[in-house]
Parts: sequence; structure tokens; C-alpha cells
Amino acid sequence: MGGELRYEIGQNAYIKLVLHALKHKTSATNGVLLGRLVDEDLVQISDSVPLSHSQIGLLPALEIALLQIEEHFGAQGLSIVGYYHANERYDDFDLGSAARNIGDHIHRYFPQAAVLLLDNRKLETLSEGKDRSPVVQLYTRDATRSWKQTGSDGNSRLTIKEPSANIVLLDYILSEKWKGIVDFDDHLDDIGKDWLNPDLFK
Amino acid sequence: MVGAVEEAQLNRLENQVDNGGGGAWEYLCLVRKLKVRRSEKVLKHGLSILNDPKQRSKLGGEEWTLYEQVAIAAMDCQCVDIAKDCINALQRKFPESMRVGRLKGMLLEARGSWKDAEVAYSSLLEDNPLDQVIQKRRVAMAKAQGNISGAIECLNKYLEIFMADHEAWRELAEIYVSLQMYKQAAFCYEELILCQPLVPLYHLAYADVLYTLGGLENLQMSKKYYASTIDLTGGKNTRALFGICLCSAAIAQLSKGRNKEDKDSSELHTLAAKTLEKEYKQRSLTKLPLLTATLRNLKLPS
Repeated sequence: MGGELRYEIGQNAYIKLVLHALKHKTSATNGVLLGRLVDEDLVQISDSVPLSHSQIGLLPALEIALLQIEEHFGAQGLSIVGYYHANERYDDFDLGSAARNIGDHIHRYFPQAAVLLLDNRKLETLSEGKDRSPVVQLYTRDATRSWKQTGSDGNSRLTIKEPSANIVLLDYILSEKWKGIVDFDDHLDDIGKDWLNPDLFK
Repeated sequence: MVGAVEEAQLNRLENQVDNGGGGAWEYLCLVRKLKVRRSEKVLKHGLSILNDPKQRSKLGGEEWTLYEQVAIAAMDCQCVDIAKDCINALQRKFPESMRVGRLKGMLLEARGSWKDAEVAYSSLLEDNPLDQVIQKRRVAMAKAQGNISGAIECLNKYLEIFMADHEAWRELAEIYVSLQMYKQAAFCYEELILCQPLVPLYHLAYADVLYTLGGLENLQMSKKYYASTIDLTGGKNTRALFGICLCSAAIAQLSKGRNKEDKDSSELHTLAAKTLEKEYKQRSLTKLPLLTATLRNLKLPS
């Protein structure tokens, strides 16, 4: 096989996952990444759907969400290509077992799946405005079938499609845009709320 | 844990206060009563009352309750100096108070001085060994430092003495779920249902855990508890309705080749599916095709 698999995440997908975590500062949050495989060595992540901010680790809501998400995005030619997670505590940099299990499940249907873990330290220093790299850690499944963090050797395999994404993100954080984000949990509590967040970036 | 009606009332009041329509004190009282965590709003509106001498004097004795509420909210928002000022005011008014001592312990926690906080709490516990709040602070500290197994141990010891503390059982259940220790989580929800059999949230959470555990017996039990949730909530709880469908599909999968289910049960998921479709038609029309496809993909037995 040629070069390593790279991941490119679109601005909206990226910003959504950070805003989701910011809306629920006192709990863990998670969601799925949508996209497609391009050219054998590039996974394009074009959208994300926030799933949950409570009782991550229980199956029912997850199963219903995945069914609806696959149905909706399948019609657009997109598949579930990954999973994102943000831990409850600030200084928790581990990928927990629930996150790994969900990652495994997604990996079964999309072998090039990625898992993104929010990096709180990077998020905190975002306001210094110097870094263009995403405020997440990338995990992929290696030959031992476990999720390993990649890119810690300085060679990042994850890039954001739009170079000024972090500046836009910072702007949204300052204007408290995270208040408007809806996840699947919110939808199950009130089905009038739309987990596709169609008006979030308008 | 707040029902939909109370949450709507709270949000209405919050919007009113945010937009200058008054009612800050009512809002703060409601937050206290419902025990919700809205620290940024509490800090903002509580401070505006405390910093206005006229409004403060109108509160009379309740002024001190407000100082305590604002101190805790300030700590939650990492405004440690504001918290300190509130606690100092309380200390001057109630110099020997245990309640103020607790707040001082929490201030040490907010600063990350875990060892000092532990010392402060231990000495308070010497005089008041049965103080529930301090015992629970210790659990919170363990959790905050990432010592989850310590938090579990502490919480279990606490529940041996205070077995009627529902919040503690819920916290323990949620910790177990986050660690995927579903059997232990199930036990907690069983305790909660025994204590408070008419609270639908516990039936729903128990059903979710049983479904996650899997296996024919658990799925059948899970279906019963989704059904009781629907019963207790007047028939429209979306999660429970989906739960019935998920259970029926999973049971059908596992029972392939065995005896067919009774007719009653198959009516149940058909009813659940119909109710979901009706709800989506009324309140979420754009998602109705997705719902229909989802129910079809579940392969519900007919």
C-alpha cells in the first residue's frame, strides 16, 4: 500500500463538534462523522451529527440515531466515516471504553474509520490565534485492532479543509453560537428539534 | 432531574429576566427548588441583586441564602474571587457555622487544592460525622481528580448508610454506565424503582440498561419497563416508544425458530410504531420519511 491514510475535515463538521462540547461543559458529548473515501488514501469528512450528552454507553438511543443518520445521509451518497467524543473532565486525555466500542462498531462498516477526541488544552489556547491545526486528537485502528493516537510525532494526518476554520470557530465561541446546537438527545426529548441543525451556520 | 413542564417554566422565567423583564428573585428561587445547574445565569442575576443595596435589603434573611447560592455558582464558573467575597460575607454573619465551613471546603476544591479540601472536610466531619453534603463532596473530589474507582467505593460506602438518597443512586448508576458496568447500573435503578416506583425516568433508564445488556430475558424485561414508562407518562414518551420497537425487533431476532410471541406483544410494537408516526406527522414532518424507513429497517415482526 502507498502512503498513509489522510483525513480532511470540513469546517462545518469540525465546528459543530466543538460547539456541541461547549454547550454541555459538565458532561461528555459524542457524535458521528459523515463523509466518503476519496482516492484510496483520503477520507473526506464533510459533516457531523451531534448525538448525545448523557448516558453515553447505552444502546437504544445510539441505535435509533444511527439508523436515521444512515438513512438520511445514504441518500446523499455519504456514509458514517467516524466518531467524535469529548470527555467530561478537562484533564482527561484518554479514549474511554464506550468510545472505543462505538468506534469498533463504525469500523466494521467503514474500515478506514477515524475517532476524534476533543483536546481541551488545545481548545483553551485557541484564543491565542496561532494554531491552524484542529483542536482534536486523531485515533485510528492499527494492526493490533486497537485505537491508537496518531500524529503525536508531529506528522499530522488530519487537516481542516478551510485554513481559517479556527478563526471562524473562535468567532462563534465568542458569540456563544453553541447555544443553538441540537443533538439527537435533544431531539428525543422534543422531536420538534432538528438534529441536522439546518440553521446553525446561517 | 426536571420534567418538561418545569423546565419550560424555568426557561420562560429565564428569558424574562434575561430580557430585562424582572423576576430575578423568582428565577433564583426556582433554580434552587428544582436543583438545576445554571451557574452562569445564577451568577449574573444573583450578583445584580447582591450589588444593589435596595434589592438586597428587600430580601431580609433570605439575603444569606442568596450569598450561598451565588458563591456556589461563582465556583462553578471559576470566578473564585467572587465566591471568596460571598463566603467572607457569610463568615462574618455566621462565624461558627458548619455550612460556611463547607463552602470554604468547596472553595479549596475550586482552586484545585484537593489535599487542603480533604483536611477541611475531615475536620468538619469529626464534629458532624453524618453530614451528607460533605460525604458527597468527597465523592465529587475523587471524580474530579479522575479517581473513578475511588468515587465508586466512596459512593457505595455512603449508600450503605444513606440508602434513601436517590440522587446518590442515580449518580452511581451513571458512573457505572460510563464505565459500561451495566449489571451494577441495573442494580442501582432497581433500588430507585423500589423506592420511587412511580417515577418514569427510572423505569426508562432501567429499560435502556437492560436492552444494552441484551439476551432474551433482559430484552423481555426491558420491553416491560418501556411499557410501564409509557403508562406513567401518558403514552407519548418518544424514547420509550422507540424502545418498544427496538426490543420487539431484537426479541424476534433471538426467537427465530422458537415459539412465536403472544399476540398482545405484537400489538404493542405496532401501536408504538403508529404513535411515533402520528407524533412525527404532527411535530416533525420533515423527519417522518426517516422515521418510516427506520421502523422498516428494524424489521419489526408482524
